[in-house]
Amino acid sequence: MTKSKHSLRANTIPAITTVGPITLWLLFLVAIPLVYVLVMSFCSIDEFYNVSYHFTLDNYKRLFDTNYLQIYAQSLFIAFFTTVICILLGYPFAYFIARAVSKRKAILYMLVIVPFWTNSLIRIYGWRSFLGTNGWLNTILMKLNLINTPVEFLYNRGTILLGMVYCLFPFMVIPLYTAIEKLDQNLIEASNDLGARGIYTFSHVILPLTISGVFAGSIMVFIPCLGFFFVSDILGGGNSDVIGNLIERQFQSGNNWPLGAALSIILILMTLLLVRIYQKLGGDMESLGV
Amino acid sequence: MKKITSCLFILVLALSTILAGCGGSSKTESGTTLNVYVWTEYVPESVVEDFEKKTGIKVNLSTYSSNEDMLAKVKSESEGAYDIVQPSDYMVALMIAQDMCEKLDKDKLTNIGNMDDAYMNPSYDPGNEYSIPYLGGAGAIAVNTDIIKDTITSYADLFKPEYANQLVVLDDFRAVIGMAAKSIGYGMNETDPAILEKVKEKTLSLKNNIKLYDSDSPKSALIAGDCTLAYCWSAEVALAMEENEAIQVVYPKEGPYLFLDNWVIPKGCKNYDAAMEFINFMMDAESAKMVGEEFPYLNPNKAGVALLGDDFINNPAKNPPSDAIAKGEFVDNIDTDSLAIYDQIWTELKK
Repeated sequence: MTKSKHSLRANTIPAITTVGPITLWLLFLVAIPLVYVLVMSFCSIDEFYNVSYHFTLDNYKRLFDTNYLQIYAQSLFIAFFTTVICILLGYPFAYFIARAVSKRKAILYMLVIVPFWTNSLIRIYGWRSFLGTNGWLNTILMKLNLINTPVEFLYNRGTILLGMVYCLFPFMVIPLYTAIEKLDQNLIEASNDLGARGIYTFSHVILPLTISGVFAGSIMVFIPCLGFFFVSDILGGGNSDVIGNLIERQFQSGNNWPLGAALSIILILMTLLLVRIYQKLGGDMESLGV
Repeated sequence: MKKITSCLFILVLALSTILAGCGGSSKTESGTTLNVYVWTEYVPESVVEDFEKKTGIKVNLSTYSSNEDMLAKVKSESEGAYDIVQPSDYMVALMIAQDMCEKLDKDKLTNIGNMDDAYMNPSYDPGNEYSIPYLGGAGAIAVNTDIIKDTITSYADLFKPEYANQLVVLDDFRAVIGMAAKSIGYGMNETDPAILEKVKEKTLSLKNNIKLYDSDSPKSALIAGDCTLAYCWSAEVALAMEENEAIQVVYPKEGPYLFLDNWVIPKGCKNYDAAMEFINFMMDAESAKMVGEEFPYLNPNKAGVALLGDDFINNPAKNPPSDAIAKGEFVDNIDTDSLAIYDQIWTELKK
């Protein structure tokens, strides 16, 4: 009896000191704000646009407005294509890094990481001056006599896609790199020895063994894509809103925090659904860096 | 447990994108420090330093970039966290309605005679009981005359189909929908659903002409040549004109959308006298001149404007003609049902 009591205490103190801080962190910075958002999403606003704690489902009813539905669809569309492009560009690149000699590997890896040190807003503005009507790209093309009048590159869905891919590319490359690096070179050699050609080895050996990286990367790219309102604002010129824009607007000029909260809940539900699909497909939560 | 933590991590990821838009910081100190909360790039350092030198009062400036940010911050901080804030017209009204402002003691405002009567006694604060205007502007039209050869005289002209994909407009739903309403003879603050239906149709017909929504720096698109027409603040046009002489300012014959930003003392202010001294100092002609030199907004301080010289006075973008201003209209707070309709129109325009 005394012995078990003793061991209980012996376990409690280390448990509190090690798990305690993170539990508090999660409680105060994640759980409570989440509950607050959920509660607010059922509130209404008073005549001064303040949040008033009168229960209503109006915010959720407004979420089914056809314009909103079209914007959700547009967000998913942009996020989907961003993810596909990131996979197509990221996989060969990650493979190349993972298989490079160690000295070059470090340099290549840095090439992905270093741009992270500059604020993404600044980098996105950089694209804007690069692609503008009188921007660098148009100037160069005109100097080379490839075009006579400036091409309108900016302010469409294409440039939003470009901005999203540009911002989120590293999130695809890093999990892919980790997955490909773990791949045992002997398996590829074995496959070749047994007569499989390159394409067959890729589809039956390499890809299945690194698919966890593809899944993890896809989640890491797809989810932020739904909320990156600044990319659609700056490179899309505000013409093609994503869910992030809707949320931002309700907390700003729209002055309707409860509606913004309800929109946030939709975003959270979409995120949870995607993670669920990811798990169903056999994705490993640890590959997401958690 | 691991699964839960993992899920929570993903939620943090999602939440962080939501919260990215909400920011801001403040430092509060007690004593003779005046906590002044103003718009970004709006109050020159030099004027504040002058004030500190002359009075020995230390000024702690913090900045915001939207009226709504400011309101939320003032409400969430403890009373007295800010001694002076700088809300726009409609926000002054909203703050007065919620009893958030201290009355101004006019006896202490000895420089009030410097102000132009045209901007005093405004609809949002009759008698200037709670607010004194600082700077303002009009929702003007900018035209790049190198490319647009027609004469533009009104908001209605911006809707012409030949200007497809030429326009940069303020990323502000009340400004744009109000402009569309004015172009067909209504006001900035319509709330009648039948009228709003017509306004909606008119607003949506502008979609094809709008290339870009930008409130932060609409001049950039004009200067870079991305857009040839703009519906933006007169001060932005003034700055664009300095970069490109072909750009001209037009005040619409329907009367422009107007805004005025004001000095207001929030309720519970801890340094009322110092705050009044600051507001009075900002109304001084010399201070107003320094402000005008750095920020070419509509300056309601006529003594200051007189010191700014002919370059400023004769520049219609920096010093909007009084007949244009007389026809101008402020945005006002509307009921929440109408707000929802405006929001719907805006969402449909921007999707």
